[in-house]
Amino acid sequence: MTVAKLSITNLQAGYGDVQVLWDISLEVNPGEIVCLIGSNGAGKSTLLRCISGLVAATSGHVVVDGKDMTNASEAGVVSAGIAHVPEGRRLFSAMSVHDNLLMGAYLRKDKAQIAEDLDLVYSMFPVLAERRRQDAGTMSGGEQQMCAIGRGLMARPSLLLIDELSLGLAPRAVELLFERLRQINKGGVAILLVEQDVMDALALADRAYVVNRGRVSMSGESKVLAADPAIQEAFMGLA
Amino acid sequence: MIYFQILANGLMLGALYACIAVGFSLVWGVLNVINILHGTFIVLGSYIAFFAFRFAGIHPFVSVFIAGFVLFLMGYAIQSAMINRVIAAPVLITLTLTFGIDLVLNNAMLVAFSADYRKINLPSPLPSFEVASIFLPGDRVAAMGLALLLTILLYFLLRATNVGRAIIAVRMDREAAALMGVDVKRVNAITFGIGALMAGATGALISVIYPISPLNSSAFLGKAFVVCVLGGLGSVPGALVGGLMLGVLESFGGFWFGPEHAVTLSFGLLLILLFARPGGLLGKRGYE
Repeated sequence: MTVAKLSITNLQAGYGDVQVLWDISLEVNPGEIVCLIGSNGAGKSTLLRCISGLVAATSGHVVVDGKDMTNASEAGVVSAGIAHVPEGRRLFSAMSVHDNLLMGAYLRKDKAQIAEDLDLVYSMFPVLAERRRQDAGTMSGGEQQMCAIGRGLMARPSLLLIDELSLGLAPRAVELLFERLRQINKGGVAILLVEQDVMDALALADRAYVVNRGRVSMSGESKVLAADPAIQEAFMGLA
Repeated sequence: MIYFQILANGLMLGALYACIAVGFSLVWGVLNVINILHGTFIVLGSYIAFFAFRFAGIHPFVSVFIAGFVLFLMGYAIQSAMINRVIAAPVLITLTLTFGIDLVLNNAMLVAFSADYRKINLPSPLPSFEVASIFLPGDRVAAMGLALLLTILLYFLLRATNVGRAIIAVRMDREAAALMGVDVKRVNAITFGIGALMAGATGALISVIYPISPLNSSAFLGKAFVVCVLGGLGSVPGALVGGLMLGVLESFGGFWFGPEHAVTLSFGLLLILLFARPGGLLGKRGYE
């Protein structure tokens, strides 16, 4: 059996006295696309933040490539091949697009490959190449999301965590971003996606977990979940 | 023309003001720490230059690098050991902390060096010269040149190096910077160290021109405040423009109203600007 890229068992975490995650267990295998669905405040973002080291776990385990990375530093998680594209994109707004992308490669020392990866990101999102000297904060939401994903890719991750890919973006931009995620995934990068557009997310993903009030309430192949009447009713407005 | 002479004097003074303020501005902008220690760091740099000159005969312009290095280590240590513990607290807490450390350090200097004013008397000062009937003292011109050079070096450090980019990234969004793998606490310490480095280096430059005493520290801190408000917070060009403006302004103010009113003038301007343009002349909106 292959070792999971990311394996989480009985994870609990929260902010101060407020516990948000209760006994979360999930797995992402190499090269897989997994999505997390659930209503606002269910704890999806907290889960991603806990994986990348921004929120401390109070109990449970986060294992990356068979190695225990519970409460590792943010830098440790990046070095383990996990890049986090945060909710709201969180670009360095008064920095150029180019410098934002270089920040993604902050921990890397392999100059030649960094240049290669830059070219790759620019060819994947040509609009970023056009705007490489422009301040990132002056671009449209869709372009900023491309830049945020590009910045994540610059870490050369084997797993990309993406929080709220499409929130507030124009439909055409969303379509392009989904297309690019497929392309990135074909290149061997696993993706753990939090997405409010449940239908699109399930269409993209191999498997999905439903998070409800900080717990995993359902999980399975996304095709199966998409056909589940309970899911359809809760998230897709279908009866 | 007397006005050109006053302008030249103002620019020579202003370059030093820019150098005084740029480290203070960097620390304020990136760490959101109002570093009351900054004036004392400058005086400490001056003393390093003074003693290096007296006991080892090292020219103060060479001591710029020694003072910068020593103060960098000191700043790095102070941030790592103390300020990093309360860095997330409201700005008043960190201000109080630096104020406390300042009291300790400044009084330690009073005990160790006394409050007496001391002066470095260079045995062979650089020759003065005249350009278009403007009188230019050689050492002051050299100090201005070095001050500008240091400021420009800092600008390029922030723009074109990995460390600089990390500092800017932390300034803009510390959590996102952490997600890139930036060790935020270390960058904090480096930033505070660079602020102290600039202060120490400026102190060594100033020691060539002005008498040295621990009592000067609050005056330096005041200048740093005014320059930051003039130029806008956290940007090197802002500090440069603000510093040069303040120098020219004080120079002309001193000529027209008498040198005793130069400080009143600069703080009066500070008040007016706080009303009219609180972001500073070069302050970018939303840059915070």
